Amino acid sequence: MKEKALQILLVEDNAGDARLLREMFSKEKPDSFELTHLLRMSDAVIHLAKGKTDIVLLDMGLPDGHGLDTVRRAHAAAPSVPLIVLTGLDDEALAAEAMKEGAQDYLIKGQIENRALPRALRHAIERHRMQSETEIIRMQQMQFKDEFLSHVSHELRSPLTAIYQFVTILLDRLAGDLNRDQGEYLEIVLKNVKQLQSMINDLLEVTRVQAGKLLIDLERTSIPDAVIYTVNTLQGAAAAKEIALRSDIEGQIPSVCADPTRLQQILVILVDNAIRFTPAGGTVSVQVRMLEEDPNFVVLKVSDSGHGISPDMTERIFERLFQSPDPALAGRKGLGLGLYICKELVTRQGGKIWATSAPGQGAVLSVTLPVFSLPNLIAPAFGGERRAECPITLVVTEIGSETGWLSDEVRAEQSHWARDLLQQCLHSDLDVLLPKMGSTGAVELFFIVAITDDIGGEAITKRICGRLEDRAHIQHPRLTYASTYRSIEAVSRKTNESTAAHLENVATKIQELINEEISSRMVRSEQ
Amino acid sequence: MSNKKILIVDDDPDMRLGLHIRLKANHYDVVFAADGMASIAEARKHMPDLIILDLGLPAGDGFSVMERLKANDSLALIPVIIVSARNRHANLERALKAGAMAFLQKPVDNAELLAVIRRALGEPAEPKKLAYLSEPNRRNLLF
Repeated sequence: MKEKALQILLVEDNAGDARLLREMFSKEKPDSFELTHLLRMSDAVIHLAKGKTDIVLLDMGLPDGHGLDTVRRAHAAAPSVPLIVLTGLDDEALAAEAMKEGAQDYLIKGQIENRALPRALRHAIERHRMQSETEIIRMQQMQFKDEFLSHVSHELRSPLTAIYQFVTILLDRLAGDLNRDQGEYLEIVLKNVKQLQSMINDLLEVTRVQAGKLLIDLERTSIPDAVIYTVNTLQGAAAAKEIALRSDIEGQIPSVCADPTRLQQILVILVDNAIRFTPAGGTVSVQVRMLEEDPNFVVLKVSDSGHGISPDMTERIFERLFQSPDPALAGRKGLGLGLYICKELVTRQGGKIWATSAPGQGAVLSVTLPVFSLPNLIAPAFGGERRAECPITLVVTEIGSETGWLSDEVRAEQSHWARDLLQQCLHSDLDVLLPKMGSTGAVELFFIVAITDDIGGEAITKRICGRLEDRAHIQHPRLTYASTYRSIEAVSRKTNESTAAHLENVATKIQELINEEISSRMVRSEQ
Repeated sequence: MSNKKILIVDDDPDMRLGLHIRLKANHYDVVFAADGMASIAEARKHMPDLIILDLGLPAGDGFSVMERLKANDSLALIPVIIVSARNRHANLERALKAGAMAFLQKPVDNAELLAVIRRALGEPAEPKKLAYLSEPNRRNLLF
C-alpha cells in the first residue's frame, strides 16, 4: 500500500535555516513528504486553518510573533496538529517552556542530524496521535461519570421524598398520636433522611463543579449574620453530642463581597465537619476577625477540640473524595466531598482556605473573603492615576414586575442573564458593573460606574435599553425593564491627596447616589 | 370562608398521598391528576386556586401541561408551582419562562412548600394552625 505523503508546514523566516532543513528532506523518498515553507506566522495561521497539515516545524523568532506567543498561536490555530519548535543553541529553556504550551518536541538548529529529522517527525506524529486518543477516552469517561452521578442523584430523590413526607406526617401527629419511643425513633429516621439528602446534594454540587456550572452571585454580605444563622441551625446537632458550639465575632466586621447562600453553605460544611470530628463533651467555635496581614480581607476560623489533622494531611483534606486514614475516626464520615466543595466555593469568591492543626489538639479551618470595598471595586476603571479626575456616570438598570413583586427565583434567574447582557454593553477598561449593592426592595437594581460624561452615559444607556428590548419579549411577560443614568461632577483632587484617598472620596460620592437610587425605589414600593 | 382548592399533578401515588395529608392538615382542599392529559381535564372541572405540578409525567410532561394551561383563557391565570426531582439549575429558566411561579426541588421542606403556596395564593405569611387529621381519606387517592 502506498503511504500518503506527509504534509509538513515549515514556518521559518531565515532563508539559510530553511534551505538546510529542505536539504534534509531531499534524501527521503520524494513522494513521502510534502513541504510547505512560509515566512510569517499570519500566513501560517491561514494555512493551518485549511486543515491539511500533518505536522508543523516552527521557528520561535518570527518577524510577526515572538517566542512562546508563536507557539500559543500555532497551537490555537490547529490544536490537533503536532508541533515541533526550532530554537537556537542558547534557547533550550525557552524550548522546554514551549513544550508546556503544547509543542510535542524541540530541535536545536545546527544540531539536527540529516537522518534524524524525518524520524523525529514520524515519532512526534505517532506520539501526538496516542496522546489525543487517551485524552478523548479520558474526557468520555469523565463525562460518562458526571452524567451517571447526576442521573443517580436525581433518581435517589424521589424515594427519599416519599420517606421524608411520611416521616414528617407521622412526627407532626397527622396520622395519630405517638408514644415517646416512637417519636424518638422517627426523629432518628428524619435525621438520617436529611443526611442522605445532603449527600445527594453534595454529589450534584460536585458534578456542577466539574462541569464548570457552579453559580456564584457576589453581593455585599454580612459574615456575622451568616455565622449566627449557622450556629443557630447546628446548635441542635452540637447539643446532641454534648458539644459546646460558640461564635466569637470581634467588634465591627465590615461586609464582604460574597454570595450569601454560598457563604452559608461553606460555614455549614465547616461547622458540621467540626462537630462530627469532635468527641462528646468538646467544643467547636467560630471566630470572625479582620485578617492581620491584610486589612482587605476578613478571616473566619472554625476550631474544634477533636483529634486534629496530621501535618501531612492538612492539604490533602481538600482533595475530592478524601477520607481520613485515622482509625480513631472510623465510622460514618460522609462522602469526602464537603471540604472539596468548600475550597472550590471559597476560591471562586476570591478567598483562600487552609487548615492548621497539631495532632491531639484539634484543628482550625480558616477561610478568608475580600472586604466589600467600593474604592477597590471601582479602582480598575480609574486605571490608577491616569483617569483620577475624569467625569463619572452612574448607569442604573432596573428590573421590576407589573405585579409589584419579584420572587427570589425570578430575581436570581433575571440577574444572571441581565448581568451577562450588561457586561456585554461595557467597555471593560473604563466601566465597572458593580455587584449587588444590597436589598433593593420590590425591584432588582444593577449599577454601572462608567468613566465618561453625560453624552457617554446616554450612549451606554441607549445600548443597554436596546439590548433589553431585544431580550425582554422572550423573557418573563410580566416584567418591566428600564435603564437610566446620572452624571457625577468630577471630584476634584486636592493637592497632596493620595490616589487612595481620592478614590475613597469618589467612592463615597458614588455610594451616596446609589443610596438615593435605592431609597427612592423603596419609597415607591411602599406607596 | 371556604378552603382554597389545590390540584396536585404527580404520577407517583406516594407523593400524591403525602401531599394530600399535608395540605389537608393545612386546610386546603385537594384534587389530583396522575398524568398530563388528566391534569387539564381536572383543572377545567375543578377550577383550582393553585396547581402543584411535577415535570416528569406520562401523557405530556410538565412543560406541555403548562403550555396548554397558559393557552387556555380560563386556566391561564391559575398559579403553578413546579415540584420536581429534576435538576433545578437545568430547568428553572425554562419553567419560569413557561409561567411557573416557583420551582421547588424534591424533597421539598414542608415549611418551604407551605410558605410558597401561601405566597402564590396571596395569603398572609403566618402559618395556619396545624390541624390534626386522624384518618386520612385514602379512597380519594386510589385511581
